Amino acid sequence: MKNHLRELRAARTWSQNDLAEALGVSRQTINAIETEKYDPSLPLAFAIAKLFKQPIEQIFDAPARK
Amino acid sequence: MEKPNLIENYIPHSGQYSLQKDLRLNAWLAVTVAVYLAVLFMNKGHPNWSPGLRAFYLLLPVLPALLYIRAWVRVVRGMDELQRGIQLAGFLFAALGTVVISMIISTLNTAGLDLGVLLRSGLGIGGTFLVMFPLWLVGTAIAQCRYQ
Repeated sequence: MKNHLRELRAARTWSQNDLAEALGVSRQTINAIETEKYDPSLPLAFAIAKLFKQPIEQIFDAPARK
Repeated sequence: MEKPNLIENYIPHSGQYSLQKDLRLNAWLAVTVAVYLAVLFMNKGHPNWSPGLRAFYLLLPVLPALLYIRAWVRVVRGMDELQRGIQLAGFLFAALGTVVISMIISTLNTAGLDLGVLLRSGLGIGGTFLVMFPLWLVGTAIAQCRYQ
């Protein structure tokens, strides 16, 4: 799933480690989400949205449904 | 936020190694191996003991093995969602692989092929652990590759 996590993180000059620590996940998870290899669970997506004070749909682009 | 468990916490020289976490997890493995070796030694030295008594001490390693499994479950539950998924994939790979290897050994034994003293009666408790460990390493490595 496409997302803007890298841009949002970069805008706050946070490292992947900083973001991982703030969310209570591993750095590998942040990297996997940013490189679109892993889609976060709903609770983690909400935690990311809350941390960046943005609606989920502005961070994650919903995939087109067939 | 509480830090999630990482598999690196249990790998020496990984930079994130934690002796405390390692001991909490692997102490039961050490106990299982020690009890298993003691049981093998006892079984060899006392073949004439009653079947009930022999069954009792032959199954003793199962107790620390179950506690070792419980320690792993706690470690995996403390991981974050991606790491947990990777570990579950690794464990599933190891469990299914062990079942397949066990079935192959059983089939060959039934067919009358001589697989040596160690495999004549199946994998056994120690053999199961010895087969599962490398399979778990392979399974987690495959799962890790997907998210690199």
